[in-house]
Amino acid sequence: MIATVMFYLLGAVALGATGLAIIQRNPVYAVIYLVKSIFALALIFYLLGAPLVAALQVIVYAGAIMVLFLFVIMMLEVTPTNASTRSAPGWVQWAPVLLLALTLVTLTLVLIGLDPVTSEGIPRWHATPRDFGYALFKEYALAVKIISFQLSFAAVGAFHVGMTERRRAQLEDQS
Amino acid sequence: MSDMLVTLALILGKLLFIFGVVLFMAAYLVLAERKILGRMQLRYGPNRVGPFGLMQPLADVIKLLTKEDFVPARADKWLFLIAPGITAVTALLVFAVIPFGSPLEIFGRQVPLVVVDLNIGVLYFLGVSSMAVYGVVLGGWASNSKYSLLGGVRGLSQMVSYELSLGLSLVPVIMMARSFSLTDIVMAQQSIPFVLLNPVAFGVFFICVLAESNRIPFDLPEAENELVGGFHTEYSGMRFGLFFVGEYINMVVLGSLVTVFFLGGWNGPWLPPLLWFLFKVLAVCAMFIWIRASMPRLRYDQLMNLGWKILLPLSLVNILVTGAVLLGLG
Amino acid sequence: MLDLYLPIIVVIGIAFAFAIGSVVFSRLVGVKRYSELKMSPYECGVPPIGNANERFSVKFYLVAVAFIVFDVEVAFLYPWAIMFKQLGWYGAITMGIFIFVLVIGFIYDWKKGALEWE
Repeated sequence: MIATVMFYLLGAVALGATGLAIIQRNPVYAVIYLVKSIFALALIFYLLGAPLVAALQVIVYAGAIMVLFLFVIMMLEVTPTNASTRSAPGWVQWAPVLLLALTLVTLTLVLIGLDPVTSEGIPRWHATPRDFGYALFKEYALAVKIISFQLSFAAVGAFHVGMTERRRAQLEDQS
Repeated sequence: MSDMLVTLALILGKLLFIFGVVLFMAAYLVLAERKILGRMQLRYGPNRVGPFGLMQPLADVIKLLTKEDFVPARADKWLFLIAPGITAVTALLVFAVIPFGSPLEIFGRQVPLVVVDLNIGVLYFLGVSSMAVYGVVLGGWASNSKYSLLGGVRGLSQMVSYELSLGLSLVPVIMMARSFSLTDIVMAQQSIPFVLLNPVAFGVFFICVLAESNRIPFDLPEAENELVGGFHTEYSGMRFGLFFVGEYINMVVLGSLVTVFFLGGWNGPWLPPLLWFLFKVLAVCAMFIWIRASMPRLRYDQLMNLGWKILLPLSLVNILVTGAVLLGLG
Repeated sequence: MLDLYLPIIVVIGIAFAFAIGSVVFSRLVGVKRYSELKMSPYECGVPPIGNANERFSVKFYLVAVAFIVFDVEVAFLYPWAIMFKQLGWYGAITMGIFIFVLVIGFIYDWKKGALEWE
């Protein structure tokens, strides 16, 4: 029962945060909303009995992919002062941020406080890190190898996308 | 009911003890650092406030609290206010999983000397420490000053270059301890600490920890001779204080992690476990200070080369070699 | 169960209370004197020139992408590391291939000069 309620609440937070991320003018605020959405997703994974996936969700998405977004934003020419004066007064911008953050923190605390053994509906660590590792490298070993090729292509592809930009910049410098 | 009250009292006592000790250590590390640096540079260091300058941390706190706390006109107000908090909170949160002594017997019950022994403790540490960079970046960006922004970008790229090797150097530790729990990792080092079994991983981890703490020789995000103060140029009063305290709490936390992962945690002969742990953490912190006194700051290309071309391949090879050796030994 | 999970809640509470409390306290205690010059960004004592948002080299971006690729690799290494004894040589060889393929991409970037900082 309580797990179902939390699932839908977390889903609502994730959707709300993602929606707000899309309509944000200021890119850094958009990143903050996305991080919140990622945390909500991680909590959903935890709720579904996959603590390892929850942890990796935070490490990879919030810790790496959002960092790339921040890099790109830093390279963009945005003027935060203009962006904030153009939009509505401060509280309109910050009320949803605070509301979502408070909901997330509350849900985290409830989830941590819930005893998986006694409360119904919450799985008891279905996929422990050990089970997860065993399944991944025994049954899905081929998939793991294929993913390594994908990642390798990503590294090469990113280099070429970035490199043309860099060459252009160098040419501009020379001229 | 009384049973629950005892449990509650024990938890609160433990937490207050931990936070007291950590904040006390962070405050006195500042003094110790200034004293040791002074001595190494043939100066006295602070010696005016109290005997041997021992009241200096108190004076610093009073000064920081009573300074004006202002927000630059062009800054993004809310992010500017939140960023230092992120740094301090993430530094404190890591401490929740660090075991600092073997379980104690109090009032006839076992009290583990760790806030919470998560079964994904290593991943918790990596997740929280990857959040820590947001404090630096958002602080640098929100200040809307060139120095701060440059400091923030440097912090980002330094973090991405060293976070990888940090994570990779812990893989051999997990392979040897066969657990993500920090308590299990300490238990696995009862006979011989991992620093002797796998010195390469220790070396990589130590260098990455130095980079993670933004200290010399990796203090490019705040390089005071080129960037004034880097990401915290525009900060004043207690907000600067939070960045500053966060940095020193981080030093204690990272010292504890080096101790837990490689130096055998609380294990040691003769002395009580708690003392051994404290002793090892202080030794690592003293090492940090010594390095600060004797190393120049890295140039940017050197920093990147070290991270990507030396540490990353080295830790990958180390993982494969460790795996092969462990499997080969049976 | 209580003694397992309550502490982390209290830790989060104390950490936030410390961060917020110290700043609020300093707000109450500290002086406030407004001045136009103090509010402007610091730039060695002269009025700031231009905007703070200038473009950076795209090399930062390449490093960030490489970071993502390897961070995903690390994410795969952890489940393997915890079970590698049970998985035995089969798992080790899978991981070896995984790392090898990724290293090829890494070497490509390296040799093409994506990691050069002149």
